[in-house]
Amino acid sequence: MAQTKRDLLIDPLVDNNPITLQVLGICSALAVTSSLEVSMVMALAVTAVTGFSSMFISVLRNQIPGSIRIIVQMVIIASLVIIVDQVLKAYAYEVSKTLSVFVGLIITNCIVMGRAEAFAMKNPPIDSFVDGVGNGLGYGALLLTVGFIRELFGAGTLFGFTILPTVNNGGWYVPNGMLLLPPSAFFIIGLLIWAVRSWKPGQVEEREYKIQVVEGH
Amino acid sequence: MSDVPNQNKGPIARFLAAPPDSVGKTIFIAVTLCLVASMIVSATSVALRPLQEQNKLKDKQANVLQVAGLYEDGMDVIEGFSVFEPQVLELETGMFTDAFDAASFDDRAAASDPELSVRLTNDPAGIGRQAQFVTVYLLRNDDGSLDKVILPIHGYGLWSTLYGFIALEENGNDIFGLQFYDHGETPGLGAEIDNPRWKAQWNGKKLADDDGTLQITVAKSAPPAGADHHVDALAGATLTSVGVDNLVRFWMGEAGFAPFLENLKAGEI
Amino acid sequence: MGLRNFFDRIEPNFVKGGKYEKLFPIYEMVESFIYTPKTVTTAAPHARSYVDMKRIMTYVVIATIPCIIMGLYNVGLQVNSAYETIDPTGWRAWIISSLGIGFNAGNPLANFAHGLLYFLPIYITTLVVGGIWEVLFATVRGHEVNEGFLVTSMLFALIMPPAAPLWQVALGISFGVVIGKEVFGGTGKNFLNPALTGRAFLYFAYPANMSGDTIWTPVDGFSGATALSIGASQGYQELAANGMNWMNSFVGTVQGSIGEVSALACLIGLAFLLITKIANWRLVVGCMGGMIGFSLLLNLIGSDTNPMFAMPWYWHFVVGGFAFGLVFMVTEPVSASHTNVGRYIYGALIGFMVVMIRVLNPAFPEGMMLAILFGNVFAPLIDYFVVQANIKRRARRHV
Repeated sequence: MAQTKRDLLIDPLVDNNPITLQVLGICSALAVTSSLEVSMVMALAVTAVTGFSSMFISVLRNQIPGSIRIIVQMVIIASLVIIVDQVLKAYAYEVSKTLSVFVGLIITNCIVMGRAEAFAMKNPPIDSFVDGVGNGLGYGALLLTVGFIRELFGAGTLFGFTILPTVNNGGWYVPNGMLLLPPSAFFIIGLLIWAVRSWKPGQVEEREYKIQVVEGH
Repeated sequence: MSDVPNQNKGPIARFLAAPPDSVGKTIFIAVTLCLVASMIVSATSVALRPLQEQNKLKDKQANVLQVAGLYEDGMDVIEGFSVFEPQVLELETGMFTDAFDAASFDDRAAASDPELSVRLTNDPAGIGRQAQFVTVYLLRNDDGSLDKVILPIHGYGLWSTLYGFIALEENGNDIFGLQFYDHGETPGLGAEIDNPRWKAQWNGKKLADDDGTLQITVAKSAPPAGADHHVDALAGATLTSVGVDNLVRFWMGEAGFAPFLENLKAGEI
Repeated sequence: MGLRNFFDRIEPNFVKGGKYEKLFPIYEMVESFIYTPKTVTTAAPHARSYVDMKRIMTYVVIATIPCIIMGLYNVGLQVNSAYETIDPTGWRAWIISSLGIGFNAGNPLANFAHGLLYFLPIYITTLVVGGIWEVLFATVRGHEVNEGFLVTSMLFALIMPPAAPLWQVALGISFGVVIGKEVFGGTGKNFLNPALTGRAFLYFAYPANMSGDTIWTPVDGFSGATALSIGASQGYQELAANGMNWMNSFVGTVQGSIGEVSALACLIGLAFLLITKIANWRLVVGCMGGMIGFSLLLNLIGSDTNPMFAMPWYWHFVVGGFAFGLVFMVTEPVSASHTNVGRYIYGALIGFMVVMIRVLNPAFPEGMMLAILFGNVFAPLIDYFVVQANIKRRARRHV
């Protein structure tokens, strides 16, 4: 496993994207992507948490007792999340109001725990940090893509600036209301996974069954 | 096999080299980690608390400014807000009270405090308990006469409770504006209550007719009382519109601000 | 037989190794539309039946004819009635006037012609846009273009409000065909009804164009509520005051989506589908049972604040999309349950959900679309439990 730091950072963006390939962290991806600004803040928050939690856990990896390792990881992740939440409330109040409970729920985001358990426990701190940041960015890239589509076509704006003037404000664009509802992110993520797997067929899972042709008796 | 070199090391190195799964070390790690983590978390929380409190306050003040039509992007909210005079109002008498500090009185906490609120039997706005005291904001002209009053209102729409303010002119009958700052209505339908074009309709409408009967209504077509008392319902959001109608009529009625508005008209405020 | 020879002559170009190998599905579509397919099943098991997929689909389209006729008549009737007070505008009014047909609401033929001018653009858009997707997927995936699409497109066009903008129709059928069907592998593998999936998409994406009071009669400045929204706000007893009685709701001269207004026309279609055994009667019995049972229960409970509680079952049957959904959507074999016991349960679940959504959910006055999609999702699960229960029972018998 001679992965360079560059690989660790770049790989999770598309080839090993935590959402499209591993289908982790979907819950928050559905909930916070209705606008680009919120997606962006969420992406940064998750990247910070995955990066630093992986680093700290990696520093302690030789000292963490196996019997309580999950709890130790949780404590580290939870502390980081609370700090992020507090900072957001202090410096980005508007956004933190929209994100509400979902910042707290980063604790339960499978990506963070997944990287801690799968990578940070076995690799040195710098590598773990880069790996955490890479995965956070991979998550963030997808969040931004979904947020872009949802905000542009759902509200006609990007980062709050009007791109497509909507009918209700005297323009011509009829916004697609479903894109503002969380289920729409399901469809978009699904279509994105479809697109990525058509582009990189290597990501398609093996069939679990095969229909066999039985020749006539 | 690591026993021998251990004797040459100090206590810290010996501890680090000890197998992590021993009982002593497990407990030690758990306790230390908890201590360190809780210290960091509380330190952050304490350090950022004042900033957060300020944000919350600013948020509310910005809403009051917006409904009074004084808000501009990038303005200093705290300073802009200083033109308002907060007062705690006793709904039943319609008079201000000094029993509470107006700057820190918490309306939402009061609504769930059994001492300060009553359970409504007739509850068209769907709010359950109603506080007997609310914070209102007065805006005065340079000569000290009253310009506008900003009254807090809330009630149930389709999915959620809508919280907002209504701004009235000094005569207590002409509406200057209405704004909701907290709701969870359907995006694109009920949430259009945030649309500036819809909100602009409220400006200049009158609560009551010449006889003093409350006539304001949110409906699809103008009521018999005339267009002065009519705000167009939102297309496709019947139930949110009905909710807004109910809550405005409730708060402007006898159980709400009517005694206060009477006082206002009588010039007692 | 010149045409047959023509097909035989060009066929080598399309089969494997031919010049236009990729375009085989298109060739196959045109050929099998005109002639019976030559293919013979080789793998076991064989099931012999005179009814093939093509015939099923054709029969369903035939069954919709009464609904189409009533729908066209009614759309025209509503528009022409509205024109008695509002001046006719738009290209449709121009065509009608130039043909000298007139806007007389008492003339069935005039109504029918006017309705046709609303229905045709919607139907053609559906057919063209949906057809493009269908052919595109068939070509890329190398499967056959399926006649099922004819049914889907007809049903989709019939459940549109007459005032639906055409670009929304195009978007709706695209979503229905792609997300409702093709992503699962095409006809026969879809667990959701594609027409309803498209309709649901539009309902949530553009609610202002899919619900409310102004869309059912496509005349600018005309506003009129459907029976369900009046029922929800004032109670069904008030329907008479708004010019709706049970009889005209049953016959279908009220406002609503194009094809769903007439319960009578739906029943004629149902009779045809039941006689030809395309529709399974168990689904119909289950659905009616669920709807009648739950609405009787709600009648019994009663409510002071919610007037919908009092709506009797025979009103539930004629208003909104219940009858249409029952006949053409609930009975759709692919997305329904496949076991006989499961069919009763599946039908009853939908019947129950319709009443539940209509009466107890304040946000959606119409419940049929959501109830059927809900039932679609549960159908495989119902089948699973029915099969498991059967296995268990038989295992016990043989211990």
